[in-house]
Amino acid sequence: MIGPMVSVAPRFRLSGIRALGRAPAGLSALVALACLASAWHGRASAAGEDKAGQARRAAAMKTFREQITPFLNNYCVECHGRNNRAKQGGVSFAGAFQRPGAGELRKQWQLSMVNVKEHVMPPPDAAKQPTDEERGKFIAWVPEIKYLNPQDPGLFVLRRLNKVEYGNTLRDLLGVDPSVAGKLPDEVPGEGYLNTISPLQTEQFLAIANEALDIALGPAGAPANNALEKLFGEAPPKGSDGREAAGKVVRALARKAYRRPATDDEIGVLMRVLDLGAANGLDHHGSLRLVLKALLVSPQFLFITPAPSSPPAGPIVPLDDHHLASRLSYFLWSTLPDAELLALADAGKLREPSALRAQVRRMLADPRSAALFDGFGVQWLRLGGLKGMRFDPAKFPEMTPALRMAMIDEARMLFEEIVRGNLAVSAFIGSGHTYMNESLAKLYGLEKTVTGPRMRKVRLQDANRGGILGMPAILAATSFPDRTSAVKRGVWVLEQVLGEHVPPAPANVPALDKQDRKDGKGLTLRQRTEMHRANSVCANCHKIMDPIGFGLERFDAIGRWRDKDDSGAPIDSKGEMPDGKRFETPGELKAIIASRGEDLARNLAGKWLAYALCRQLEGYDEIVLDQLMESLARDGYRMGDLITGIATSYPFTHRRVK
Amino acid sequence: MTTSTTIGRRACLKGVGVSLALPLLDSLGWAAGQGSRPAKPPVRLGFMYMPHGVIMDQFWPKDPETFLSDPPPALESLRPVLRRCLMVKGVSGVPIAPYNGGPHALELSTWLTATLPNPKNRGKIDIAISADQIAANHVGGQTSLPSLELATMPQTHKENQEGLHEGYYSHCSYRSATQVMPAEINPRNVLNRLFGKSAKPGALLRHDPLDRGMLDLVIGGASDLRKRLAQDDQRKLDEYLDSVRAVERRIAAIEDRQKDAALQKAGIAPGSRDSSDSPPIEIKIPVGDKRSEYMRVMCDLNVLAFQTDTTRVSTYIGSTPNGVTYPELGIAGEHHSYTHHQNRAETMAKVAGITAFNISQFAYMVKRMAALKEGEGTLLDNCIMMWGSGLEDGNSHTRQNLPFIIAGGGGGSLRTGRFLSANANQGDLLMTLLACMGVPIDRPIGIATKRIDAMMSNS
Repeated sequence: MIGPMVSVAPRFRLSGIRALGRAPAGLSALVALACLASAWHGRASAAGEDKAGQARRAAAMKTFREQITPFLNNYCVECHGRNNRAKQGGVSFAGAFQRPGAGELRKQWQLSMVNVKEHVMPPPDAAKQPTDEERGKFIAWVPEIKYLNPQDPGLFVLRRLNKVEYGNTLRDLLGVDPSVAGKLPDEVPGEGYLNTISPLQTEQFLAIANEALDIALGPAGAPANNALEKLFGEAPPKGSDGREAAGKVVRALARKAYRRPATDDEIGVLMRVLDLGAANGLDHHGSLRLVLKALLVSPQFLFITPAPSSPPAGPIVPLDDHHLASRLSYFLWSTLPDAELLALADAGKLREPSALRAQVRRMLADPRSAALFDGFGVQWLRLGGLKGMRFDPAKFPEMTPALRMAMIDEARMLFEEIVRGNLAVSAFIGSGHTYMNESLAKLYGLEKTVTGPRMRKVRLQDANRGGILGMPAILAATSFPDRTSAVKRGVWVLEQVLGEHVPPAPANVPALDKQDRKDGKGLTLRQRTEMHRANSVCANCHKIMDPIGFGLERFDAIGRWRDKDDSGAPIDSKGEMPDGKRFETPGELKAIIASRGEDLARNLAGKWLAYALCRQLEGYDEIVLDQLMESLARDGYRMGDLITGIATSYPFTHRRVK
Repeated sequence: MTTSTTIGRRACLKGVGVSLALPLLDSLGWAAGQGSRPAKPPVRLGFMYMPHGVIMDQFWPKDPETFLSDPPPALESLRPVLRRCLMVKGVSGVPIAPYNGGPHALELSTWLTATLPNPKNRGKIDIAISADQIAANHVGGQTSLPSLELATMPQTHKENQEGLHEGYYSHCSYRSATQVMPAEINPRNVLNRLFGKSAKPGALLRHDPLDRGMLDLVIGGASDLRKRLAQDDQRKLDEYLDSVRAVERRIAAIEDRQKDAALQKAGIAPGSRDSSDSPPIEIKIPVGDKRSEYMRVMCDLNVLAFQTDTTRVSTYIGSTPNGVTYPELGIAGEHHSYTHHQNRAETMAKVAGITAFNISQFAYMVKRMAALKEGEGTLLDNCIMMWGSGLEDGNSHTRQNLPFIIAGGGGGSLRTGRFLSANANQGDLLMTLLACMGVPIDRPIGIATKRIDAMMSNS
């Protein structure tokens, strides 16, 4: 049936947030321990940044002045930025001399590092060429750029509730099914999108408010039901001051909807709405209902706003307790804070590190943390499109909606097991069991032992299965409707699992020439894909992406094991990682990737941090991640600890106001 | 047709298992002044999109002389209305440097803006108001809906091209440089939005009579919050408040129409439509996921919205650049994959088939408009309908000659039945269409430098 295709409305897109290289492990380890205590749990202010951080910054700046500035002057600025006209290829270093650590330069530095390393720049025909030593220094310096950034939680950006959060919030506020928000348009995550509201959406917010109130309270004028009495209390007896009684209810409603105590001004506005109702003949409940509707279309409800306060003390302030409670509950639950969080916030205790950690643990154990898979997991694993994908029905008749649902549930159940069980992140790769029902078991060839529609935990004997790399949902989501794609799978492993950055295909991809095409007939997909690598434009990236994808060619486009490909030729799943490690089966590929637990953890930590903050990562965030990785390493990078670390981190608990 | 015969007319629409009551559409005539009939019907402007470009030798006419007698294969479905069509070759798209790796993120987002995203802000929406929204700002106050945005896929494609915000991938309509206009993808929701979902025959869009006053107070109450916010956030809040005001205006427009309808019913005011005008078309909401049916019901809704003058501006993203498939054409793979056909005849034939299919949906829409009487002519005579793509050749991502077809007379402003050559750009084209609609323009749209006068009838 035609209707809104179900899709998640993520808070923030997770792609393209790859860090600028790495800090050498030794250096970050030393300083991380020193500043963990101060920077970590949000006690430090900008002014109180630790000495180690300042020292690192001074050292990075010194290197820039003494080694990098001459390099840029000698080899780069003639074409890239001596003045405004010298901006070839859109690259300019004109602004870099003053503020080399500026956020907008991050991508350019990264690109420069690659180009200098690969001898693409300076152009080979340029008269002046740097020595290998000079190149080496430049390449080594780029990962140090993060140290130029002073401690900074990032600019606070007003954000509105996304579609999922809005539906969940109505559920928790009014007891209605969150699908009441279903008619809102699906959303693209990303900065600058979630804080705009078009007239279409506003109109729908109003319509949904009307609808949700009808569902929760019954049609206007209907006799009071339980929900209504819970929200509005009993009507005051005749003769008493109804307005005063209503005022108390208004204040309580506003506190719930705004997720913080309302100001007197705000209450004043709401009382005028109450009076508007009364003046038009509405009774006590009718007027309160109008106030509740006003609350539901107020910016204070639709946006997550800080508590009103006197002008902030400095450019960087800790989040107030109520703001922190909201940030936390929308991060972990995609809904408003519950009574326990609000009570802690009222008491001013939520910001205490031990209280905050305890709350994160409690919230992860709560069923509402299922929102993390829908909000984060689906995005990270790139499963958002799977429900809407249409597989070729002739080739894959078994790909029914029920099977697709089971595939996604399998991923969900493993994800939740790892998050709630506080397992090491490497379990995403190496898990020895998985979850399936009968339709999914057919893909695994286990339909004899697993029957019925119920999803259950199943121990696996096959080393090629288990974990996300051998999981049908992932294998299907990285395929085309009618065939597998070694390239897509390779990119998926590099970007989603290992956090490597894969540049997009160049514009005007040159066609394989005619000779190639003639030869292309009767070749396997692998052989045809490998032709890309004969072309130097394609080769640089494809020689990295493709071999990983070939390792997963043993799985067809919906995740079944196979020995032969579509052309009937035997599958060649030999492959090689960028670092030269070789493998012959998916199981061996899994083992190689599982051995890179630190990379996986680092990648996940970066994506979690961006998701929690709803913004792209910037320079100082890299230092935050360094510290987090340091603290997680001792216990083998556990998922629950990682999330707790994010939720108690400096940028999560602070905001920059200017 | 007089109003008394239409009141209580129950249009019971039977799709498979669907029965919807159409409200009193006839009373939703042109709201020009005090119930007085405008001298001539208003001009409507509609855009329909297909991603990834065309097969050029199937799309471009051979020469101006044979355009009507021997149209290109891609336009076969438009043959019956070819005299009402106009094609122009030589309109180039926005050059996409420095975003050379982002051809698909830019095809839709530059289509109606003729502008590139701000390179200093690529991770955020920062582009320009689109031509449809410029038109809506001018004529939107006269209808209950300033503009209508339709699509057939969720606008949620996630792919990072050149670090550009992913919203660019699937949105063509921008209310301001920083604000996207999301589209409605569910036909039933569109119908509800246009005409309300009351089952009562003759009912108009329902709303709470106190909503306007309540929204007024909400807007006023936000000033305190506004003071506490940083400048950027204040702008965001203003956008929201502005959209609340738009809803308020819409309620006001509906109230005006209800008053008019009541007066007409009482025989006090004249009906706003000609007795010769066609009755509103029926909408059948299909069950199942056949692409042609889905695309067609959206076409029908577009026709109905224009016919009833519920809006005068629409954008319809027939599909977004994110891997739509066409199983009913016997084509299993993704549209995008085929467009990188590398000149293989077999693959090019598939792309040509997909293009002809998309154009046939557009043809279905404009032929419906041509069959509806309005005033002295047809609804199509008073429309400017543009079908197009943001790339010329999907194989190599060129944008030298953007493929597009204009259908409709634009209220007499367009000279149709011709194939022209021009040396112009996308911004020039949009300027021309807005000029045909009578929209005053105070600054060029994107890269525009002129109007394409040869397209217009007074040239």
